Amino acid sequence: MKNTLYVGNTQKFNAFLLFYVVTASQIGVGIHGFQRVLYSEAKQDAWISLVLSFVLAHIAVMVMMKTLDMYESNDLYGIHLDIFGKYFGNFLNFIYIVYCMAAFLAILKNYIEVINTWVFPYLDTIFLCITILIIVVYAFSGGLRVIVGICFFSFFFILWIPPILIFPLHYSDLNFLLPVLDTELKGIAKGVLSMSFTIIGFEIINIIYPFVKEKDKYKRYVHFGLLFTLFLYLSILLISLTFFSGEQLSKTIWATLTLFSIIRLPFIERVEIITICIWLIIILPNLCLYMWSAYRGVLRMKFISTKKFTFFFVLIIFVVNLYVNKRATINMLNDYFGKVAFIVVFVYPFILFLFAFIKKKIKKSQVSKNEEN
Amino acid sequence: MFKNNKQKKEDKEKKEQQKNEEKPKKEPISPDKNQFLLTVKEKLHSPSDFIVRSVSDNMIVVYVDNLVDNKNLNEIILTQLQEVEETPEAIHQKLTIPEVDIVDELNKFIGDMLQGAAVVHIVGHEKVVVAKISAYQSRGLSAPENESQVIGSQVGFNENLSTNISLIRRYITNPNLCNEKFVLGKQTKTSLSLLYIHGIATEEYVNTVRQRISDLDIQDILDSAVLAELIDDNSKSIFPQMLLTERPDRFCDGLLSGKVGIVVNGSSMAILCPYAFIEFFQSREDQNLRWPIASFVRLLRFFAIFTSIFLTPIYVASLTYHYEVIPQPLLVPLSESRAIVPFPPIIEALLLELIIELLREAGAKLPTKVGQTIGIVGGIVIGTAAVQAGITSNILIIIVALGALSSFTTPNYMMGNVIRIVRFPIILLAGFWGYYGIMIAICLMLIHLLRLSSLGAPYMAPFYPPRFKQWPNSIIRLPITFIKRQTVNSRNEDSNESQQGEKKVAK
Repeated sequence: MKNTLYVGNTQKFNAFLLFYVVTASQIGVGIHGFQRVLYSEAKQDAWISLVLSFVLAHIAVMVMMKTLDMYESNDLYGIHLDIFGKYFGNFLNFIYIVYCMAAFLAILKNYIEVINTWVFPYLDTIFLCITILIIVVYAFSGGLRVIVGICFFSFFFILWIPPILIFPLHYSDLNFLLPVLDTELKGIAKGVLSMSFTIIGFEIINIIYPFVKEKDKYKRYVHFGLLFTLFLYLSILLISLTFFSGEQLSKTIWATLTLFSIIRLPFIERVEIITICIWLIIILPNLCLYMWSAYRGVLRMKFISTKKFTFFFVLIIFVVNLYVNKRATINMLNDYFGKVAFIVVFVYPFILFLFAFIKKKIKKSQVSKNEEN
Repeated sequence: MFKNNKQKKEDKEKKEQQKNEEKPKKEPISPDKNQFLLTVKEKLHSPSDFIVRSVSDNMIVVYVDNLVDNKNLNEIILTQLQEVEETPEAIHQKLTIPEVDIVDELNKFIGDMLQGAAVVHIVGHEKVVVAKISAYQSRGLSAPENESQVIGSQVGFNENLSTNISLIRRYITNPNLCNEKFVLGKQTKTSLSLLYIHGIATEEYVNTVRQRISDLDIQDILDSAVLAELIDDNSKSIFPQMLLTERPDRFCDGLLSGKVGIVVNGSSMAILCPYAFIEFFQSREDQNLRWPIASFVRLLRFFAIFTSIFLTPIYVASLTYHYEVIPQPLLVPLSESRAIVPFPPIIEALLLELIIELLREAGAKLPTKVGQTIGIVGGIVIGTAAVQAGITSNILIIIVALGALSSFTTPNYMMGNVIRIVRFPIILLAGFWGYYGIMIAICLMLIHLLRLSSLGAPYMAPFYPPRFKQWPNSIIRLPITFIKRQTVNSRNEDSNESQQGEKKVAK
């Protein structure tokens, strides 16, 4: 098969690290305030939407991996080129690169906004953008090994969240969850749709697949990763639903942070300020992985050096960043990006799988015909 | 190591020049006595400590004073030379000295002579006899000062290569202990030994070290620390990537767990590599204590490192920007102690940290007893006075002193330095951008550590790439029955299995 990637064994990483890659790529800025949108669509049945969205994610990721398995060692970009030919394939690749950049931008903007709102109201967004970009570029230039390493370490910066949720648990009221299934099915479905911005990230498997060492057992780790994220999101959502009343929740933009702000320890208060700062290391793998994905795609079109790519990538992000700086624009960006992400992550894999399947069938029949001849 | 093209070109030219210089160096030895003395003197630029002693009409002994052992010279060489036949072969056989050679090349025997050999020249022969009776002026073995430990051996390396190697050989009596000799430095001709245990050490690392040492093209090398910086992976990094130790037991411990060691003549520090980040915080003494105690001490040390790096920055960040994080009961004493301080927290903290660094530097440079006095007087006087004068708050003094104290718990001096110095940029970042600044520092540091490698092996091992089985023994010290003789980054599967087998038999 053409366009196959040859990845040396030293560049590959063990399959179990995919668990950390998937969780790290999923958990990002979305977790700060996914409850409000979800609640406005699905009311107290929001948790059903969440579970459903994860079921959908499992199916989507299964389809993705099925498609990838058809090719021995190839990523999404190579598959595009193989199925759709050079021109349309490259066009699709270009779209995916733009998607990666949009994701990068959305994460960056959302995080900067959170910092500006909660911690430093007057800190310049340009400065924040530059510092984050410096860190990302430093990590990116270290290569995939370093990026996966950050994924791995950032996982441990997430682990303290579940235990800390015990504090608000004291004030939660289970009655807020009742009655179950009170919302229409349409509302629940819309809730699933609204989760897409928070849940995406696992599509990195499309690009990272050739770099996984054990191709026979990597699937379980991807699913474990999704399950861990489900556990984390569900616990936060359930506590938010029972802690806040409906009215409050629909008016709180960053419900998770508000949830944290009531925690008092003998030596620390206002944990959310620390949380927000620690979140820098949690969004770092997100940003690095998207940047890396974009680089892989660019490499398929034209070979350029890492330095050149970094320069252009950072320049574009920085310039676009200057134009997106109001709450309304960021909200719009989130909405649009969420919809695009839903298509890219939850719909497109099925289409691609269909094409790949047909292509494989055709090839097989051709081969058998050739053999007959 | 990275060299740009210009340098490479220069290097090439240099190498060519050397070749040209080296070629005419093969000079014969004159059979004539006077001619011989003339050439030797010319070579050495007639030094005052060059001594010529004629034994008979045809035979002379030349040597450099103070480099040879006078007792051997008098009792063996000079007496025995009276009795033997006057040919190099006969002398070679008769002399009762361990190392005697016949040399027919001028520069070679001059090299030997400068290391402490007596050279016998006989008229009419183009060969000389070289008797190696060098006397080393070295200090006796003493306790290691920088890496002292309570329980365990109290002997440290000294500056003599052969003494150090004999110390190591006494610890590991094993034919597999390999010793490869190198000579480095065009001016100094320093000899150094590459040590590893065949079958335990990973071939790959041995080859890398060998390659890097033989690739070096330097004028002089006076200490192993310089060599370590020259051959490590990233010499621009603040973190040491190779261990410098003056403890033979720690060195042998490293060799036994598959590391490669280098001992340099003239330096009391031996190099061990590859070394991972976490291993710098493990002390050899942990092995000697009972495991719960050792584990406790080790955890305490990790806690100390964390405090040392982050406590002052957190103080600065909290008091500059994030008052709301501090609970009210704690905020009151904090603000009270800061009430009359005229500076912002960052200036206050930097001032105190600098004072502590000054005290440390002064204490380190002065003789031990004076150093202690300076430490106590300086610490107490300056500390109390600073608070009373209202320049700093008491709480910051506690924090800074705690940080300084904690940084000294690092078992390795090099790493301790890093811990202390790395605080300053973090304090600055904390002073400018609060917790966000601290987080920037953490991210950059983490990425930097992830990017580092030691001899190509990951620096953050066993944490990343994760080898979960090695985690418990890296963080705490497990009971000896659980420990496999295998440390971070030295994976040689066969030797581990065989050693486990041995352990079972021993039980």
